[in-house]
Amino acid sequence: MSAAAAAVDDARARPADAAMAFVRRNGWTLGLLAFLAVLLVYTRAIQPTYGVTGIQGLAISVLPLALASVGQAIVVISGGIDLSIGSMMALTSVVAASQMKGQGEEFGVGIVIAVLALGLLLGAINGSLVVLTRVPDIVVTLAMSFVWAGCALLVLKTPGGGAAVWLKELVKGSLVNEWVPKAAIALVIIVAVIWLPVQRSRLGLSLYAIGSNQLAAFRSGVSVGRTKLASYMLTGLFAALAGLSLTANTGIGTPVPGPYTLTSVAAVVLGGVSLAGGRGGVAGPIVAVVILQLLRSDMTFLNVNTNLATVANGVILIGVVMFGSLIQMRRARA
Amino acid sequence: MKRNGLVRSFVALAAVAVIAGACGGGGATTAPTTAPESTAPESTAPETQPPATTWKIGYSNAGGVGNGFREEQVCTAKAEALASGQVSELTVIHQNADAAGQLQQIRDLIAKDVDAIVFNPNDPAALNQALEEAKAAGIITVSVDAYVTNPDTYNLYNNQVEYAYLGAKWLFEQMGGTGNVYYMRGFAGHPADSDRHIGFQRALGEYPNITVLPTIDGVHTGWDPATTTQLISDWLSSGQYDNTQGIWTSGMDSQVVDAIKSAGKEFVPIVGADLGAFVTQLLDPTGFPGLEGAAVTNTAAVGGAGVNLALKLLNGEAVQTDPSASQPNTVLLVPVVAENVTDAGKTLLASWQSVPGLDPNWPLGLQIGGWTTYTPEQAITCKGPND
Repeated sequence: MSAAAAAVDDARARPADAAMAFVRRNGWTLGLLAFLAVLLVYTRAIQPTYGVTGIQGLAISVLPLALASVGQAIVVISGGIDLSIGSMMALTSVVAASQMKGQGEEFGVGIVIAVLALGLLLGAINGSLVVLTRVPDIVVTLAMSFVWAGCALLVLKTPGGGAAVWLKELVKGSLVNEWVPKAAIALVIIVAVIWLPVQRSRLGLSLYAIGSNQLAAFRSGVSVGRTKLASYMLTGLFAALAGLSLTANTGIGTPVPGPYTLTSVAAVVLGGVSLAGGRGGVAGPIVAVVILQLLRSDMTFLNVNTNLATVANGVILIGVVMFGSLIQMRRARA
Repeated sequence: MKRNGLVRSFVALAAVAVIAGACGGGGATTAPTTAPESTAPESTAPETQPPATTWKIGYSNAGGVGNGFREEQVCTAKAEALASGQVSELTVIHQNADAAGQLQQIRDLIAKDVDAIVFNPNDPAALNQALEEAKAAGIITVSVDAYVTNPDTYNLYNNQVEYAYLGAKWLFEQMGGTGNVYYMRGFAGHPADSDRHIGFQRALGEYPNITVLPTIDGVHTGWDPATTTQLISDWLSSGQYDNTQGIWTSGMDSQVVDAIKSAGKEFVPIVGADLGAFVTQLLDPTGFPGLEGAAVTNTAAVGGAGVNLALKLLNGEAVQTDPSASQPNTVLLVPVVAENVTDAGKTLLASWQSVPGLDPNWPLGLQIGGWTTYTPEQAITCKGPND
């Protein structure tokens, strides 16, 4: 074969190689997407009336947890964990709801910006404590979860407050096509605007680097402390967005944290993010959140005790972690 | 590398099998008994033959799973659906959730294409968006145990303002109109808790020499037995109980009595609900010497009554509502108070214990005149039409 012919064959082979490389890189997420597709077909089979209304309801309901899971994924990728995410959501939600009640629509814009800044601040406090005290992340954020939950109860003793109409409309209904819920669009835009630029930047590389090997990252010139702080700030920002989405969904703020912290960890694990850090992305956890919610809905459609969905979630998590460990062991032997 | 990617894909797909396996299971709910009938306004519904079994009803209970009141409520809903002979399918979502979670529960029931949704709301206003969606889908909605502010939803619940007022008034009288009251409330933000606070404050206004501890807002038990035990234990161990002349509870009562007995302290007058364990304590002077108290009815049969109301509405029957309620389309059930201080009170309390085998943590009221049609046995069995 001539060199020219070999070059042509090589060029033809490249797109296929690139596709295979993409599949290998995103195997987990693609697998989850395939599973989601199967689950949607199954849902339609057991509940033939499941359609536009169901999809829109699904999108709205997963939005808070999806945003929380993105935040959790970022901090886990950097080698940490944030057990205060549910409390931060409650705090930012009640601050938004209490301040928006009875105020004008324009005022709501300022409140949203202030709440996002509050999220960054809460994350910065978490991150600073982790970096400065060197106390393990899990201990610091667990302790801070009580602090933020207490602050939420100081802001609002009971569920209440209000939400700007435009904020509620932001996640309600569909846009362009009835099969495209606004909540899903909002999620995609938020992730695209905040996470994608970070991921492609030096900061993104540093997040993965300190998650993979802190010492190696440090020796390569990465500022471990600053990067860790940034990861917690990003998590705080996504917690605030999740809190705002709760307010937009319910029209109120609830001071008692919902079951978002541990569920976000579950979604991160199911989404293919290594709890050891340095590996994974945010797409997997988002798809995992949708799967977990759809599973719950299917239990309802099947007239099965919905508490079994929680059991199923646990079983899946154990299975996933076991398979993950198996992969690690095979990789180590190879 | 290639192998790892494929293995990962396999792992994710393997989850399908796990979930499919999980979908095959089933769940059960435990059961209660019968006794005092709360009074309710007469329905103006005409006497008609029950229609064919065609209605599909959804039921959402998003809080207090494991709590006797909530368990009994769900069982009475199942019993009424079965006894009516009009319900082909009752879908029950009995799972703790926050307001956002209950929104999804209601949306799931809408997607399930039910004819009516009966629910115990976590919040008076947070569910309105889903309730509007239900109306748009032609689904009737009935809120039980507490009201919602959605104007198209029917509300059926115990008059919680009156519940708190009657109990607090008895307590303050028992205390001679003066002294300190430890104020143990329910779940912060729950409409029933907010209404009871209004009733308590109303009674308090009539007794200016009563002081509420630890603050005028009291403490929240979350209607959780463990939290209640912790709160009363702290109160006892801190010595503040020694300066307390009465305790008002929002239904977490027997735990308070047990804790005081365990601490070896003398009882102060206690107000609670018509839960089996508390009524038994009130009628047991040997086991609980010196215990004076009153139980106020708070029937959990609102679950069954809610299903009954939904069926009336589906059948186009007229329903008499209470114009004095804070919300439109509201049926209010009137509570009754009974104490163990007078012979008449003891007789009334004893009459509530008419059905043997009562779970001590469940309210005694299993039926509501005019609003439930099942037998106590059906409620105890806790089976719906599709169980």
